[in-house]
Amino acid sequence: MEAAALLLAAGLTIALVLFVARPFLRDPVSRADRSDEDDPAAAERLSLLEERDRALAALKELEFDHRTGKVSDTDYRELLRPLRREAAEALRALETKEAGQRERVRTNVRS
Amino acid sequence: MAKRRSPARLVVALSIAAVLAVFLLYTSFAGGATPSLRPSQLADHPGDVSLAGRVVGPVSGDARGDGLRFTLRDIDGTATVPVVYTGSVPDLFETGRHIYMRGELRNGVFVAEKDSLVTKCPSKYEPKES
Amino acid sequence: MPELGRAALVAALGLILYAALAGGYAAFCRRRRLLDSAANALLAGFAATGVASLVLFAALAGRDFTFEYVARGTSRELPMGYTLAAFWSGQAGSLLLWLLVLTGSASAAVALNRGLVRDVLPWTVPILGAVAAFFAILLVFVASPFATQAAPADGAGMTPSLQNPYMMIHPPMLYLGFVGLTIPFAFAMAALASKRMDERWIVATRRWTLAAWTFLGFGILLGAKWAYEEVGWGGWYAWDPVENAALMPWLVATAFLHSVMVQEKKNMLRVWNVVLVAGAFGLSLFGTFLTRSGVINSIHSFTQSSIGPWFLGFIAVVAAASIALILVRLPSLRSRTRLESLVSREAAFLYNNLFLVALALTVLWGVVYPLVSEAVRGVAVTVGAPYYDFFAVVFGLPLVLLMGIGPLVAWRRASLRALGVSLLWPAGVALVAGALLLALGAGSSPAGLVGYTFGSFVLAAIVLEFARGTRARKALGGGGWLASFAGLVGRNRRRYGGYLVHAAIVLLLVGAVGIGGFSTTTEARLAPGESLEVGGYRLQLLGSDQRRGANAEELRADLAVFREDEQVGTVSAGKNRYLAEQQTSNEVAIRTDWLRGEDLFVIGDQFNEDGSVFLKVLVNPLVNLIWLAGLVFVGGSLVAMWPDAREQRRLAGRLALARA
Repeated sequence: MEAAALLLAAGLTIALVLFVARPFLRDPVSRADRSDEDDPAAAERLSLLEERDRALAALKELEFDHRTGKVSDTDYRELLRPLRREAAEALRALETKEAGQRERVRTNVRS
Repeated sequence: MAKRRSPARLVVALSIAAVLAVFLLYTSFAGGATPSLRPSQLADHPGDVSLAGRVVGPVSGDARGDGLRFTLRDIDGTATVPVVYTGSVPDLFETGRHIYMRGELRNGVFVAEKDSLVTKCPSKYEPKES
Repeated sequence: MPELGRAALVAALGLILYAALAGGYAAFCRRRRLLDSAANALLAGFAATGVASLVLFAALAGRDFTFEYVARGTSRELPMGYTLAAFWSGQAGSLLLWLLVLTGSASAAVALNRGLVRDVLPWTVPILGAVAAFFAILLVFVASPFATQAAPADGAGMTPSLQNPYMMIHPPMLYLGFVGLTIPFAFAMAALASKRMDERWIVATRRWTLAAWTFLGFGILLGAKWAYEEVGWGGWYAWDPVENAALMPWLVATAFLHSVMVQEKKNMLRVWNVVLVAGAFGLSLFGTFLTRSGVINSIHSFTQSSIGPWFLGFIAVVAAASIALILVRLPSLRSRTRLESLVSREAAFLYNNLFLVALALTVLWGVVYPLVSEAVRGVAVTVGAPYYDFFAVVFGLPLVLLMGIGPLVAWRRASLRALGVSLLWPAGVALVAGALLLALGAGSSPAGLVGYTFGSFVLAAIVLEFARGTRARKALGGGGWLASFAGLVGRNRRRYGGYLVHAAIVLLLVGAVGIGGFSTTTEARLAPGESLEVGGYRLQLLGSDQRRGANAEELRADLAVFREDEQVGTVSAGKNRYLAEQQTSNEVAIRTDWLRGEDLFVIGDQFNEDGSVFLKVLVNPLVNLIWLAGLVFVGGSLVAMWPDAREQRRLAGRLALARA
C-alpha cells in the first residue's frame, strides 16, 4: 500500500511538473514576448469601434422599442436625432483615424 | 436637452440621505437591537430583556404545562438566576448548553417569554474536543 | 494514505504559489511562455487538489477512523450518502472543498478564455493564484484534513440536523456561487492592472458573475428548503447571520448584473461596476469568515477557532489592494457620458442598484452590529427578524415596483406621458388584482397586499413585453406565433431570460408573503383519540410509537388528517434520537396539498409518559411557490447565460478590424 501510493504520487508529480514546463519545452527559442496587444493605436481604434457599435445598437433598440409601442411617435422622432448624430460622429471619427493611418503608412513608405 | 451637471450625483446623495433617515426613524421607534444580558446584569435592567447564559441543573417541570424550571448561570461567572419557561424546547437543550431567551425578572425569578428559547448549535467546525 | 493526501496538498500549494509568483512576473514583464506555464500551474494545482480530495473521499467511504476528520464527522451506522457528504461538514474538509472549487473554476476560466487571458488580462493568473494560495496555506499549515490518530472503536457521528439529503447538495452549490465570484473579481482587477478596460473584460466578467450568482441563489434556496424541512420551526428564512452571509454577496452581484448593462450601452458607471465586483467577492470572503470563526452567535455557530484572524488578515489585504488599484486607475476609469434624465432606463437601473446596495448594507449592519456593540460598548446585543423584515419591506417593495417599470421605460429620456401610457395596462391589472385580493381577505397583512399588487404589476408588465415583442417580430419576419416567440427570445436571450428571472422573484414574493403573512397555527396537547383543528383541517392522534431506524431511535406520533369530515391521509411527526451522536433532532411532517396550494406542517413537540403528545401545527399557504421560484430562476438564468454565437463573431470581428 505504501509503495504503491508513493509510486503513484511520484508519477503524478512528474506529470504535473512536465505539464507546467510544457510552454518552455514546446518553444525553446526565447521568442518570449507576448502578443502586440499593447499597441496604443489598436487600442484606440478598438475603443472607437466600440463607440460606433454602441451607437448603432442604440439606434436598433430605439427602432425596436418604437415598433413594440414602448416609445411614442413623437418621442421616437426626438430621440432619433441625437442617436443618429452620435452614430455619424463615431463613424466619422473612425474614418479620420483610418485616413490618418493611411497617411502615416504612405509617409513611411515614401521616406 | 442634455443637462450639463449629471443628476446622478444628486440622486445618489439624496438616496444616501433617505436611507439614513429611514434608519434613524426605525431605530428610534422600533429599536432594532435588543440588549443581551447576563444573569449578573439582570438587577440593573428591569423590564423586557434578552438573557443569555449556561443551563445549570436540575431541570424539572413541563414546558408545555406549568413551566420548565432550571437555573441559568453567567457564561463567564458565577451569578445565577432561576428561570421558568413555557413553550417549545429546542432539541439541543440540556444542562451545560448556552442558551438565550427573552423575558423579564419577576420577584427574583426570570419568567421567559413563550417560545423564545434558542440554543447555540454545537460546533460543527470546532477544534478537537478531548 | 493520509501521507498521499498531505503530499498532494503540499504539491498543490507549490504549484499555486508558482502560478501566483511566476504569473505575476510574467504579467509584469510580458513573458508569454512564463504566463502559459503559470496558467498550466493553475490547472495542475486543480489536479493535485483533486488527488487530495479523492484521498479524503476514499477515507470516508472506507470509514477509516485513523483519519481524525473522518472519526469526528461520521460513525459506523451513518448511511453512506451522509458519510461522503461529511467531506464538507467540518472546517478542514470544507476548506478543501473551497480550494477544489476555486482551482477548478480558475482552471475553467483560464482554459475557456485562453486568448483573452494571454493577450488582454494576463494578471488574471497571478490574482487567482494568490487567492488560491491563501486557502492552500490554510490547508497545509493551519487546518489539515489529513491529521491522524489511533483509530477509535467508532466515530463521533454527524450532527443530526445535517443528516438530510440537502447536506449532499447545498454546500457544493453554495460554494460554486461563493467561490465563483472570485473569477469576475480576478478579471476586473486584471483589466485594471493592465489598463485594458474595453468591452472584452465586461463580457467575460458578466457571464461568470451570472453563473456564480445563479449557483449562489439556488444554493440559498436549497438552504431555505433544508431549514424548512429539517430545522422545522415552521418558517423558511430566519435572517440568521450565516444565511445573511450568502445573501449579501448575492444582492451585490444582482446589482452588478443590472448596472453592467448600463456600462455596455452607455459606457457609464465603470468605477461603480468595478467596486460592485470587488464588493461581491469581498462579501463572499467575509461571509465565510463569519461562518467559520465563531465570532457570531448563530444557529450555525462554531467555537472560537484559530482560523478567524487568518481570514480577517486576508480580507484586509484583498480590500486594501483592490481599493488601491481602483484609485490608481480612477482617471482612466471615469466615464465621460452623463446621465441625461431621471426618467430613463439608465436611471431605473441606478435606482435598482441603490436599493439593492442599501439592502445589502442593512443586512451587513445587522450582522456586524452585535460584534461592534460588544467590542466598543461591552454590551451584547441580538438583532432579530423584525429589523430585517422591516428593511426587506422598505427596500424590497420599491425594487419589485422597479422590476415592472424598468423594462417599460425607454433609454436616455422617457417622457412621463409616454411612460404613463406604457404603464397603464399593467397598472390596471395590478389594481384589479389588489382589489380582488383585498376582497378575499388579504388585507390582514397590508405589506403583503401591497407586495401582491406590485407583483401583479410586474407579471403583467412581463407578459406585455413578451406579447409586444413577439407581435413586432411576427410583423417583421412573418412566421407563426411560436416561431416568432422563439426567434424573439433567441435573439435577445439576456433580456428575456432576465424577464423570466423577474417572474421567478415575483413567485418567490408570493410564496414568502403567503407563509409570512397568512399562515395559521394551533398548538395543543392530545391524548390518543383526541383532535385539534387548524385552517380547515382536523388532526386526530391515533397513537405514538418508537421504531429503530438506520442509526437512530425514531419516535413518532401518527395522526389522521381530516378535511370536512373526510379522511384525506395520515402524517407522522416526532423526533429522532441518534445513538452515536447522543443528540435528538426534530422530524416534522409536511403534507403538501397542491390543489389548495398549502402545506400542513406538523411538529411533534413533546411526548409525555402518559401517551399524550404536545403538537404544534401550522398551515402555510403558497409556500411551495418559493421552491418553484428556484426552478424558474435557474431556467431564466440559463436562457440569459446561453452563449450567443452571433455576439462572439461580432466581438472577434471587431478585434480583427482594430488590429488590421
